[in-house]
Amino acid sequence: MIRHDVVVVGAGCAGMRAAIEAKRAGVDVAVVSKLHPTRSHSGAAEGGINAALGNATEDSPESHTFDTVKGSDYLGDQDAIAVMCHEAPGDIYELEHMGAIFTRGTDGRLAQRPFGAAGAPRTVYSADITGHVLIHVLYEQLLKHDVTVYEEFFATQLVVDGGRCAGVLAWDIVRGGLHAIEAKHTILATGGMGRMYYGTTNAYACTADGMSLAWRAGVPLKDMEFMQFHPTTLKSNGVLITEGCRGEGGYLRNADGERFMASPAPNAMELASRDVVSRAEWVEIAEGRGVDGCVLLDLTHLGAKKIKSRLPGSRELAIDYAGVDPIDEPIPVRPGAHYQMGGVDVDIWGETIVPGLFAAGEVACVSVHGANRLGGNSLMETITFGRRAGQAAAERAREEVDVHARIDRAAVRDEERRLEGILTSTEGERPWEIRDELARTMYDKAGVFRTESALLECREKVAELRERARRLRIDDKGTRFNTDLMSALELHSLLEGADCLVTGALARQESRGAHSRLDYTERDDERWMKHTLTWYDRGEVRLDYKPVTVTKYQPLVRSY
Amino acid sequence: MATIDNEHLTTLKGAYDVQLMEVSLRVQRFGGEEDSRRRYETYTVEVPTTATLLDCLDAVKDKHDGSLAYRKSCRMAVCGSCGMRLDGGAVLACKVPMRPYVDAGHVVTVAPMGNLPVVKDLVVDMQPFWHKVRAVKPWLDTSDEAPPQTEWRVAPEQQEAISKESLCIMCGCCVSECNSMEADPDFLGPAALAKAYRFVGDVRDLDTRDRLRDLNGAHGIWDCTRCYFCNQRCPKGVDPRDAIAKLGAETFREGLHDGIQTLMTDEGARHAKVFIESTYKGGYLRETELVPKTIGPLGALKEIPFALQLARAGKVPNPLMPHKAKDNAEVKRLWKLLEQQTPRHQERALRPEDVTTAKGV
Ligand SMILES: Cc1cc2nc3c(=O)[nH]c(=O)nc-3n(C[C@H](O)[C@H](O)[C@H](O)COP(=O)(O)OP(=O)(O)OC[C@H]3O[C@@H](n4cnc5c(N)ncnc54)[C@H](O)[C@@H]3O)c2cc1C
Ligand code: SF4
Ligand code: SF4
Ligand code: FES
Repeated sequence: MIRHDVVVVGAGCAGMRAAIEAKRAGVDVAVVSKLHPTRSHSGAAEGGINAALGNATEDSPESHTFDTVKGSDYLGDQDAIAVMCHEAPGDIYELEHMGAIFTRGTDGRLAQRPFGAAGAPRTVYSADITGHVLIHVLYEQLLKHDVTVYEEFFATQLVVDGGRCAGVLAWDIVRGGLHAIEAKHTILATGGMGRMYYGTTNAYACTADGMSLAWRAGVPLKDMEFMQFHPTTLKSNGVLITEGCRGEGGYLRNADGERFMASPAPNAMELASRDVVSRAEWVEIAEGRGVDGCVLLDLTHLGAKKIKSRLPGSRELAIDYAGVDPIDEPIPVRPGAHYQMGGVDVDIWGETIVPGLFAAGEVACVSVHGANRLGGNSLMETITFGRRAGQAAAERAREEVDVHARIDRAAVRDEERRLEGILTSTEGERPWEIRDELARTMYDKAGVFRTESALLECREKVAELRERARRLRIDDKGTRFNTDLMSALELHSLLEGADCLVTGALARQESRGAHSRLDYTERDDERWMKHTLTWYDRGEVRLDYKPVTVTKYQPLVRSY
Repeated sequence: MATIDNEHLTTLKGAYDVQLMEVSLRVQRFGGEEDSRRRYETYTVEVPTTATLLDCLDAVKDKHDGSLAYRKSCRMAVCGSCGMRLDGGAVLACKVPMRPYVDAGHVVTVAPMGNLPVVKDLVVDMQPFWHKVRAVKPWLDTSDEAPPQTEWRVAPEQQEAISKESLCIMCGCCVSECNSMEADPDFLGPAALAKAYRFVGDVRDLDTRDRLRDLNGAHGIWDCTRCYFCNQRCPKGVDPRDAIAKLGAETFREGLHDGIQTLMTDEGARHAKVFIESTYKGGYLRETELVPKTIGPLGALKEIPFALQLARAGKVPNPLMPHKAKDNAEVKRLWKLLEQQTPRHQERALRPEDVTTAKGV
């Protein structure tokens, strides 16, 4: 048996930041991750991370708070948003002192770029590889602090014993075998769930594992219907083409060559907010004015020189994955599932309602993003709330000298039997078949636009797929590096996450932020300014609600 | 239920229409301890014309054999998971479009990376790789522990010094093809050394001297054979060999200011040191000093038979009257010039406490 004071599940920005903080506080910490830490999807973030440093122009945490509240379409909890926006500058300075290589201004200070819906240039960045820089600097600190890492260990189950989380069961991917990892406090930091959509910017590993772990452990998932779509992703593999292309002057055109943003956003045009652009594109394509299921991101008028010097990364991605050189031809793009605003319901210290269980990062919903996340705010969330969860868990672990988390042998044996069942099954479907069907269903029926009838169809399909997934058959019967087994486990998480998403979406009869209903086109504060909670109820989803925390800012119409 | 007239808007037209092509690939299979025979299997899959090597492997895994093992995550060449060999050279599987191979009618061969033990199929054990990264103390060494009040001041040009090294995604493609590592598995290798330079070249780091001393030790920078395979194979343009050259230059630079190259203790380093010293003294390399000064007088004794053999062939210059440049003063002037032109190790970053007052003015 393995035992630690604090165990962090997930090693992206949130997980590593939490582990570093807990270790500094002097407790015994370990990280469990299905990927080597630097392989986490945080590394793919390009644009940057928001903090009101005021390096470019005057700025304040207060103004960052207001922009975020408004951006959230008033579904964000204002106490949580204020915490993040006020602590962000200190967290950024700390990252810089850890060694983060951020882009500098000529005065040697951290440069800050303007980002959508922000009142000041507030986004700290590192060219177009901000996430990469963060993931590596945090990994360096993890090594410096000598944190134990169970690398390529897949968490399959949280163990709740006597109402308290006692740790996690994890499968050793490389060598095979299930391990019980006992912890006084467990922090989930497993990232997002974009993979349930056919078109997504997310990595293969973003499969809702943490949401499903927490849900099955009795923690409600909050606001799961709010999935942000990014307007410019490649058709072939969903890879994100940065907003920078439009920032540099790129146009969006339909099949007739028209700049269709002129009608929904005559002023902002291509630079309107993500949800607005995604919806406009979706209309063009769905009404038959698209090109091969896409609209066209046209950079040709920018010229070879500008494209090569300012957008080399995007050009490379377009050449590699779309077979198109943007110097000569426009890039076909379409909206793709990008960021899950909802997640495991936690308070401003990352604590869930189950004692001993915390969550931070994209898996969690504090909630700072509400119905719509602003670009650059989620990396900040991983750092600030990762740190806070690490600190809180460590403090608890130190105080609770007489708490001894114990994982019962029987729990391990049950889980071993479940995995054995998948390994030895000779009938049923292969996981990928169901996964592909789910991804298409979600993209078609719970995408950028939703209606009651589409969502009903979607929920029915998800239920059918969940039923079919009870009998899975995998080819790989071995225990060594069995990624077939992993994909079976991930499929269950995806299906459970999808069920919560679609149940919440069906119930929410309004349009707010990323949740856009064609049959209820207005925001309805009277009925719906509240958080959706989806609970586990004998395998099914039970709906519930809780109020939004409002401190200073009363809801206004969100217009830019 | 409300009926609406724009129900059709929920679903994208043509979302799944793709052009397909057929790709064949020979893949090395290896079952690990359970089945230690290495064998090749050829698969033919139907994939979109935009498919990468990784997409093809996914198609093999889904449609042919779910037991095929390989690593993947980001599928956009940033996470460093999917390093493997394509026709004998390391690539990121997610960064190789397959269309050109299909057009050329070529069946590619896919195998795991080199210089690392194979776990199963295309999966290698990365532990030896990470051990070496860890060995270079890969974290910024600054003296401050208290929470900072502001950032360090670093000029963009100063930061530019490590811009290439900061691109490394730790994929191992360079290590896979490293010539020197084949001969000396303990050689720190291109990725770890590029990481080391990322700190040596960082003006905020306070540990330059100690880092350089370590890197000049056994299995360090002087073990590199300069084959440039790492530069060639790196998918991110890090150019690790250039980083190694910069570490060598930093070593000389630190050493120059001491008068002697005290940092250079390893055999490879001493070898390089003879080049500096003897060109300084006489404008030429003194070959006869090379061996004793590199491997020491005792070791040199053992090389005497070889030296005599060389002498018989007329390949040994007169040890008592080494070549000397005609105008050695000119050589010394050149050295001086070089020394003046070589900046001392770059100006340090401004400490935050020195700039707090300046901030916000
Ligand atoms: C392409 C792209 C660009 C983006 N750009 C920006 C940007 O510019 N600015 C911004 O603020 N945000 C951006 N975002 C969003 C932001 O990057 C993510 O929300 C954030 O990085 C998530 O971090 P995380 O630590 O929560 O999760 P991740 O980094 O996804 O890490 C999840 C970790 O959990 C582990 N894990 C998962 N499941 C299991 C399991 N079952 N067992 C064990 N371990 C598990 C994984 O191995 C991994 O280590 C972007 C997102 C994408 C996809
Ligand atoms: S140049 Fe040096 S480090 Fe690079 S591959 Fe060759 S021997 Fe290895
Ligand atoms: S130097 Fe290049 S090839 Fe080597 S690990 Fe880094 S990114 Fe990969
Ligand atoms: S899958 Fe991430 S680099 Fe290829």
